[in-house]
Amino acid sequence: MTLMETSMVEDESTTSLKVLVIEDDNEMASFIEKVLTDAGHSVERASDGASGLAKARSSEFDALVVDRMLPEKDGLTLLQEFRAAGGTTPALFLSALGDVQNKVQGLRAGAEDYLAKPFAPAELAARVEALGRRQVPAEAPVTVLKTGDLEMNLLTRKVTRAGKKIDLQPREFRLLEYLMRHAGQVVTRTMLLEKVWDYNFDPQTNVIDVHISRLRAKIDKEFGEPLLQTVRGAGYRLQSQG
Amino acid sequence: MKSPLQLPSWLAPMVPDRAQILRPLRVVGRSIRSVWRGIGKAWAGLPFMAQIKKAMPAFARTTTFKLTILYSAMIAAFSGALLVYLYYSTVYYIRAESENRITVEFEQLANAYYTGGMERLSQSVFERMTLSGSQFFYYLEDSSGRKIAGHFPRLPAEPPAVGMKTVYFDFELPQADGTSTLRPAAGRIVRLRDNGGALMVAFDTAQQTVIVGRIRNAVYVAVPIALILSLAGGLLISRGAANRADELAKTTEAVMGGELGRRMPVRGSGDEFDRLAQRLNAMLDQIQKLVESSRHTGDAIAHDLRSPLTRLRNRLELALSQPLSEDAANETLGTTLQEVDRVLDTFNAILRLARLDAGSEGTLTRMDLSELAEQLAELFDPACEEANLGFKSQIARNLVILGDKDLIGQALANLLDNAVKYTPEGGSISFTANRTPEGMIDLTVIDSGPGIPEDKRDKVTQRFHRLDSARTLPGSGLGLALVESVAELHRGQLILGTANGPTDRPGLKATLRLPRA
Repeated sequence: MTLMETSMVEDESTTSLKVLVIEDDNEMASFIEKVLTDAGHSVERASDGASGLAKARSSEFDALVVDRMLPEKDGLTLLQEFRAAGGTTPALFLSALGDVQNKVQGLRAGAEDYLAKPFAPAELAARVEALGRRQVPAEAPVTVLKTGDLEMNLLTRKVTRAGKKIDLQPREFRLLEYLMRHAGQVVTRTMLLEKVWDYNFDPQTNVIDVHISRLRAKIDKEFGEPLLQTVRGAGYRLQSQG
Repeated sequence: MKSPLQLPSWLAPMVPDRAQILRPLRVVGRSIRSVWRGIGKAWAGLPFMAQIKKAMPAFARTTTFKLTILYSAMIAAFSGALLVYLYYSTVYYIRAESENRITVEFEQLANAYYTGGMERLSQSVFERMTLSGSQFFYYLEDSSGRKIAGHFPRLPAEPPAVGMKTVYFDFELPQADGTSTLRPAAGRIVRLRDNGGALMVAFDTAQQTVIVGRIRNAVYVAVPIALILSLAGGLLISRGAANRADELAKTTEAVMGGELGRRMPVRGSGDEFDRLAQRLNAMLDQIQKLVESSRHTGDAIAHDLRSPLTRLRNRLELALSQPLSEDAANETLGTTLQEVDRVLDTFNAILRLARLDAGSEGTLTRMDLSELAEQLAELFDPACEEANLGFKSQIARNLVILGDKDLIGQALANLLDNAVKYTPEGGSISFTANRTPEGMIDLTVIDSGPGIPEDKRDKVTQRFHRLDSARTLPGSGLGLALVESVAELHRGQLILGTANGPTDRPGLKATLRLPRA
């Protein structure tokens, strides 16, 4: 995954997000900033917990990216205080502590997502976008998801494309639902493992790719325009070319 | 007159009674106890204590030393008190004896005085002075202070205005050779009633003094001896305990010095030192296991991460040393990135294993193993199909264990991933989960691949061990090691066997056996 490819992740349909990055390591912060600006977001930086908390409170951000180990105030405390004060900005923890217990701790402290270092740039960009999306308030509960001419009725659990019925296995249905809810965004393999399978381990074999290709065979094969794209080195994206 | 058992008033200051002797003993005992406690407490609290402690010779800080001091102080106090008591009671006895005799003497003289007045008294005194073998000395004077009779030129002290008084004095005793020696004497002077004269009866205390002196010398000799003996005794008593503690300390030092194989001596007496030693030994076994594993891990890291890192370095250096087209640069960066990812994966696997070993990974909760196995089967099924492998699974329902879902999932994924990787096209894989008659749960992955020769089966679960046949395939050589660690964490085991296929492809049968919840 080179930086050139990172820019390929950029997508005109994605809304640009205002992201606050709270990270004390300057090089790391610059790297995160570059990844996110390349993906079309605007980034502000804070290099310690106290100033990070002040910034997070003072202005409107769409997402926070918080390092767990910070000088003066560690990330966990910072986020707990932010949430206690009524801050609702979705947050993603970055940490070198990647085991499950640490993740659970981070999520309990009020983070929406957790990413262990080292991470792939695409993974970070994809997750921050997923976070930012949640900011869009859900109006009426959605019963039908639409991407291009692909439709999913969540009540009847029917999927059609251009009016043609598509039969899906339960897992395929869940996989497609997640992709449709994040239409236009890059979704990584790890995200799919976590959200669709609820796994925090690495199955090693290219199992996700195989599931995706089966899904693709069902929703794209007989139709002209492919919706389910593979983004090299990053993951997948479900997108109707608008 | 007082009975001999009661102390005469004039001896009271000299001889303490029993209660008076015992009281100080009790006080001494209490004081020793409280002083000892106080020392212990004050010890740490004193300013500069740390420096003082440092300045103290090492032996003075040992338990042996402290216990010895305590024992000998107790023994010394006890024997000292005994000797003091002995001394005083002897002195008391001798004095009381003399006192009795003086009393008898006075009684007789008093009789003479009361029956015949001064005349009779002086006669009596004369008679007694001339009696041979008498140990007593006399002196009688009239009211004007003139000597009437007596051994001495005058009274050694002023007689009392009324009643009597005790005197101690030295007198010159003429010897046969014309010289005279000073002799100590003790006596009583009585003011005669109705007359105003004074009478003294005294006796030579030299003999007593000698006896008392001897006793005193004995005490002077005996106390140091008692002290030395008690020190030796204390040392012997306390050394037994302290030696055991020292043995433990020495072994600990040896272990800290790197002799991890050393163990605490167990004497088989079953006392608390033995029990402590056994527990420490169990702990040392565990520590040795951990240290060896981390040492091995360290070696393996050095060995296994060094080569890819060296390759990376060389590739980057090469890329730097020559101008590259953009395509070539991208190609180089791409492969470099893949290489780095592999190193990171290996690194994460090592860390995870280390945490598993150290017991800081995994939280065991009741979980439905059937559900997890079903999901994994469903996850791997398409991948097998893609690789042109037959896949069938048979999962018993309601298999419940105490486990960590992510760790068990990773372990099963490793087994399934191995099967997919090593089974040649056209082969088959089966995945089953069921209860065993022994009340365990077996999760078995069987493939039709090359299998693992029997003599290599315990090797493949070692970290970084890769069979020659597997070296060309991707992997860190940590997969089965992790499965085994996960099995151990769940008090289960990993059993590797043959799938009994044809000779060229016997296949591998890998079973993760876990206890039921």
